[in-house]
Amino acid sequence: MEYTPEVVRRFDSPRRAGELQAGLPGLVSGEAEDRTLQVWVRFQLQVIDGAVRAARFAAFGCPHTIAAAGYAAEWLEGRLASDIGRLDMREVESELGVPIEKRGKLLRIEDALAACGLALNKDVTKD
Amino acid sequence: MNAEIYLDYAATSPLDPAVAAAMSDCLAHEFGNPSSQHAAGKRARALVEAARAEVAARVGAAAERIFFTSGATEANNLALKGSLARRGARAHLVTSTIEHRSVLDAARALEQAGVAVTYVPADSLGRVAPDDVARALRAETALVSIMHVNNETGVIQDVDSIGALCRARGVPLHVDAAQSVGKVPLDVGASRIAVCSLTAHKVCGPKGVGALYVAEGVSLAPQMHGGEQEHGLRAGTLATHQVVGMGKAYALADAAREGPRLKALLDALWRRLAAIPGARLNGDPDGRAPHVLNVTFPGVEGEGLRLALRDLAVSAGSACAADSPEASHVLTGMGLSDALAASSLRFSVGRFTTEAEIERAGERVATEVDRLRALAVGAPAWCSA
Repeated sequence: MEYTPEVVRRFDSPRRAGELQAGLPGLVSGEAEDRTLQVWVRFQLQVIDGAVRAARFAAFGCPHTIAAAGYAAEWLEGRLASDIGRLDMREVESELGVPIEKRGKLLRIEDALAACGLALNKDVTKD
Repeated sequence: MNAEIYLDYAATSPLDPAVAAAMSDCLAHEFGNPSSQHAAGKRARALVEAARAEVAARVGAAAERIFFTSGATEANNLALKGSLARRGARAHLVTSTIEHRSVLDAARALEQAGVAVTYVPADSLGRVAPDDVARALRAETALVSIMHVNNETGVIQDVDSIGALCRARGVPLHVDAAQSVGKVPLDVGASRIAVCSLTAHKVCGPKGVGALYVAEGVSLAPQMHGGEQEHGLRAGTLATHQVVGMGKAYALADAAREGPRLKALLDALWRRLAAIPGARLNGDPDGRAPHVLNVTFPGVEGEGLRLALRDLAVSAGSACAADSPEASHVLTGMGLSDALAASSLRFSVGRFTTEAEIERAGERVATEVDRLRALAVGAPAWCSA
């Protein structure tokens, strides 16, 4: 398997990896998995006043999965909450040079982000 | 980044300088065809026969029972196809589920040609039980093929017992001994081995050359036609320099001398790796060759682990299957899930491996396993199963 320098860089030194502190105000979480593809991804976002103040990811998966999840977390931090779910995974695929056979794994990242959006909407509705 | 640490001797090994020197000398001065009758050919012939004697001595055979091939893959194919070719429609082959691909694929090709094949399973420690082999035998069994040292786990099969039961039943035993020479004792006569595949490049010899031991009284159908070389068993001009290299490599490959050092290196590596939470040794801990260590690291995705450890030359599964995304058939045959098999690495050491390399490799593996597990914090249980 060949990897672009960007994937290797994000795999070796992932940014926004880890967890946000439990109990943080505005904390939402979303995850998705596919056992067949050996992928699990979770995003934790702190959303305050409609803005993503902090984003973190955790991932079990191949280097492309880790690189793409980190890319997504970086993209989200600082954006509006309404942008969750608007990250175009084809852009991620292109930016990182993800091979087509890995596309299914990127879809799980998309699912995890969607789960964050659902969790956020549920919190908003509750409020 | 530090230079790559090579821990993949089970895949191939660096050429010993003495082997390189012998080959270079041959290439520079003896280009004759060993089948020719003039002086140049006879000198080349003499070199071939000297090498044949070295190979024979290393495995306890008579020189005239050694036939050179292009490697163990060809030898395995010749052993299986050559044995079954003359046995007709009801022929039967017994082998195991954990053989090298060159045996399994040859067996499958024979199946497609109508040969019945029984694949004896291994247990969870990677051992093929002689009793299971015995139970698989039929009146029409033409050959049993069981490898000596497994290339992925290093587990040593009980070829002595299997050889004895095959001899008692009048069935020839073929042993793929590609991983044996220079690591564990091998005596084809004492083990009652009828046919034995050998290679040079796992013992600091050149790639592209191997040999097949064929016991007296065993008849194989040639698979290469076009000359009377190797007493008609394997046509084709011998690459004298390659054969010389194999002879020199076998002369240097002394399991009694090298084995203990290799074992000490791998024992040191395993001590370091065993301290990593959840790390599991694959294969019989007591019945293993000294140069191969296969370890599973649960909770770490395999492709990521290999990229993280790209400064270590190690294998996930065999080199022959390196391009295949499928899990190791040896590890899954031992009961590991596809995921755990993919999270496994094979470390194999050899003549030029140093203690410093082992220490560094252990540190690197521990560091990267920790890092990748931390990236997967909160992952569900199946990621470690």
